[in-house]
Amino acid sequence: MWGQILHWIEVRIGLEELVNKHLRQFKTPKGATFWSTLGFVALIAFILQAVTGIMLLLYYIPHPEHAFKSMQTITNEIPFGWLFRLIHNVGGNIIVAVIIMHMIHVFLRVSYKKPREITWVSGALMFLLVLLACITGQLLPWHQTGFWQTTVTSTIPSFLPVIGEGISSYMRGGESVTGITLSRYFSFHVVILPVFIVGFMILHVLLIRRQGLSTSPAIEPGADASPPEEFRREPHLEGQPCFPHFSVKRSFMVMLYFTVLFFILTFFPNLFLPAEANIQADPLLTPEAIRPAWYFLAPYQLIKTIPNDVMGISLVVIFSLVLLFWPFFDAKDAGRNIRKRPMLLSLGLIVLALWVIFTIWGMYS
Amino acid sequence: MMRYLIIPVVLLIAVVSTGLSLASYRETFEREFMLSPWAIAKGEISACIQCHTSDSMDSKMQQLVQEWRASWHAKNNVSCHDCHGGAPEDASMSMSHQRGFSGTPNDKDIPAFCGTCHIAIKDNYLQSGHGKTFLDTGEGPSCVNCHGSHDIQQASMDIISEQFCSHCHTYERAKEMKQALFMVESKLNTINTDLKRLKVFGIATDRQEKAYFRNHAGFRTLFHSIDVDAVREKSSDYTQNLEIIEGEIRESFKQLAFRRNFSAYLFLVFIGLSIVVYLLSKSYEQKSG
Repeated sequence: MWGQILHWIEVRIGLEELVNKHLRQFKTPKGATFWSTLGFVALIAFILQAVTGIMLLLYYIPHPEHAFKSMQTITNEIPFGWLFRLIHNVGGNIIVAVIIMHMIHVFLRVSYKKPREITWVSGALMFLLVLLACITGQLLPWHQTGFWQTTVTSTIPSFLPVIGEGISSYMRGGESVTGITLSRYFSFHVVILPVFIVGFMILHVLLIRRQGLSTSPAIEPGADASPPEEFRREPHLEGQPCFPHFSVKRSFMVMLYFTVLFFILTFFPNLFLPAEANIQADPLLTPEAIRPAWYFLAPYQLIKTIPNDVMGISLVVIFSLVLLFWPFFDAKDAGRNIRKRPMLLSLGLIVLALWVIFTIWGMYS
Repeated sequence: MMRYLIIPVVLLIAVVSTGLSLASYRETFEREFMLSPWAIAKGEISACIQCHTSDSMDSKMQQLVQEWRASWHAKNNVSCHDCHGGAPEDASMSMSHQRGFSGTPNDKDIPAFCGTCHIAIKDNYLQSGHGKTFLDTGEGPSCVNCHGSHDIQQASMDIISEQFCSHCHTYERAKEMKQALFMVESKLNTINTDLKRLKVFGIATDRQEKAYFRNHAGFRTLFHSIDVDAVREKSSDYTQNLEIIEGEIRESFKQLAFRRNFSAYLFLVFIGLSIVVYLLSKSYEQKSG
């Protein structure tokens, strides 16, 4: 029966050739580890967000009078609605962590250098868009936490000279967070941002398929040679086939992702839903402590620490631009083995340490 | 070459004209959106607070705002003008009697002052020994003697204490009342705590909260009659009502337990799958040497 189905498909789309060409013959480098699969994990996490988001969308009403109530209905009355809501909520946070880890891995392997600059830029753009998706998603349940977090995050751009007020005003659709903000954030969260994320994702994956996975210079010394002057795909003839070897590694990491997700759902279901997240948004009642989500704590604390708001926001913008175009800042031919580049390694570790320090500081300040 | 230019130009004209035609609709739509009550985010705009916290006020008057901010009234959005009247949004008219400002009530007017909101409690109080004594002699406990004025906290059984009651009479009768209240009060406290816990976990408790509030308010009203026999007689009715709420709370906790167990089950499934896939991955690595 199974064989007949496969044969039926084979005759029509040439499944065997497809699998051979794109999975068995597509080789991954010898040094590909579990860490090399984080990009794939982020892709699965994004698909999970899309699926759970669509499930929520079936019952969610993007209107200030109904949004909170519709979320309460989803959580309490729709069968397994709580599960979709919690997966979407927790998954939205883990996906950020996965992308950060993926970027750290790519940075440490110096895989962003020529000819992979566009791959890095498209990935970094995706990261920034995912962060925007998180910001816009926070407001949708119309609870106290989301409402006041949005009030804080939509104020930050106003510190920018000349264009700042305009950006803040555009984000909110007025002077304060209102129903217009909700309708804007809703359209950005469910349509505009996902379309751009998927677009960059396709570009990112196509580039990886076209160029081949990057080799670790620490494992394959030949990989540290000068970058090619014309297009050359890394065939990794000595490497492992994508299927089944690398696919099993990917599957393991995806399973690990789900394990972490359900660990949080079991033991800390409210980790990203504080008590105020169960109270309808009230513009007249400011919660005692308003903090942005954990991934925004570092820039938030930086802006708070620096007495001059313009300087604070400018630093955050400059950091984001440097992150986005990093391959062009590290363009000189200094090799790809980070062990031989102590300055680059130190820079990376210092930035990471500062980010962790400012995040913890922001959490307790 | 020209045809390549025509396409973007036509698209640009189409986008701009659509945008312009939608602009007026959008303007009307947004104006209506903004005018809705939920759309306007007002801050703490109160002439009373601004003036009473300014340096022109003496420290005693400034202290009133501090006390109110820490009070149960403040936590429930009951502001100065809700009790004292006036126009908090307009500094020049904030203390105008034409705008309903009544200022500090005379002692004899206190029950009516608080009774503006706490109507049933006022009625029961005025029929009680406390109320009658207060009306007849102008002495005896009024609302503020037990609850305070600006620093009002959530009422609890602790108010009935030897320290308070023995100011006017022996504690024996008050103690008897406290014992009569104990069962229902304990249930009310437990339900209140449980509802807060459920709310933290995202359980919708609106219906139970309303039922709790109804019973809570009713029982508190009854108790202001300081009639021990009436409290004993009606306690069973309140107990029955509260047991219904307790039953619903138990169901909600069962639902929470199901959610935790279901998540735990999926957690274990994925641990198992992770181990299997990891071993599979290692076996492939060994095979390929």
